[in-house]
Amino acid sequence: MIAVLGLVVGVVAGLLVRPEVPAVVEPYLPIAVVAALDAVFGGLRAMLDGIFDDKVFVVSFLSNVVVAALIVFLGDKLGVGAQLSTGVVVVLGIRIFSNAAAIRRHVFRA
Amino acid sequence: MSNQDETPENRLRKELPEEVSAGAAEAAAAPAEQRTELSGRQRLVKGLWPPRVTRAQLIVALLLFGLGFGLAVQVASNSDGDSALRGARQEDLVRILDELDDRTQRLEDEKQGLEKQRDELENSSNQAEEARRQTVEKERQLGILAGTVAAQGPGITITIDDTKGTVEADMLLDAIQELRAAGAEAIQVNGVRVVAGTYLTDSGNSVSVDGNKIDAPYRFKVIGKPQDLEPALNIPGGVVQTLEKEQATVTIERSDKIVVDALRAAKRPDYARSSSQ
Repeated sequence: MIAVLGLVVGVVAGLLVRPEVPAVVEPYLPIAVVAALDAVFGGLRAMLDGIFDDKVFVVSFLSNVVVAALIVFLGDKLGVGAQLSTGVVVVLGIRIFSNAAAIRRHVFRA
Repeated sequence: MSNQDETPENRLRKELPEEVSAGAAEAAAAPAEQRTELSGRQRLVKGLWPPRVTRAQLIVALLLFGLGFGLAVQVASNSDGDSALRGARQEDLVRILDELDDRTQRLEDEKQGLEKQRDELENSSNQAEEARRQTVEKERQLGILAGTVAAQGPGITITIDDTKGTVEADMLLDAIQELRAAGAEAIQVNGVRVVAGTYLTDSGNSVSVDGNKIDAPYRFKVIGKPQDLEPALNIPGGVVQTLEKEQATVTIERSDKIVVDALRAAKRPDYARSSSQ
């Protein structure tokens, strides 16, 4: 419950504060957000499976974000940033879909 | 099913195996019967309500706060009107820039073409204007000769007072010829403009000019160079002497401003046509 509240508060704060995104972070923020979403879905699924562990969640969340940003950074340096970030988004999207499917089975039993 | 889902994740990243193994460890630690009796839905409801302030919840809340914040910021910055390019990558920006350059080039070319066209049009309209101006100027000049416009300038006034009625048309014609020879440019006699086709006839005691009968005194208004006109009339055996021999009085006045305002209508020739063109 508090976790959900945290999400809601974060969204509201982001909308209210509207901070300028620093130029350094700009290219990585969208990918990082998608990666974090993936981690959250994974965590939700793990909770429904009854195997949720906060330490694992924290590590997976952070490492997801860091690895995604790193891939984008590396892609930019290699000159394939656009393709690589597309790839990352595709992979994360697939994972989110599969996790969402598992969650759906738990919640709706279908 | 979950195993199938996790296999690709294993290859992609390391955290899910950790999750699974940790979950397995947790599951091993947790009472076995609880896991079996609780469904996923029940676990979800249990996790949501009642709210429990635990370390795990707080940490997850913190992370989710970060996620929500980032999400909102990203969405907000993406939906800003001016930042359509903000999320674009370098290559995209370069491409967009190239396209803009091309477009600018094309528009520049178009602009130059249009400007050239405009200049041409302006030139042609200037030329048309110039031609019109010249035509008007020429019309004025010709109008002075043809007597269709009034004229003014330096010249002389000649008054021939003929008390005895002895002055005849040929004397006046002589005077006009002499004036023309001396460079008179516009002449009128008693309100009748003298032009190329002017004829003078005797009409009783007086004279007709182009069929208009005029009476003495005959008053000539002549535009020309006064220093030429006056001597031309006064030469020995000239117009003035001839007229004075006929008992007429001739008065010549120089003036800086003579107005020849008698007009005649422009007449279209019935037979003569311009042979040029």
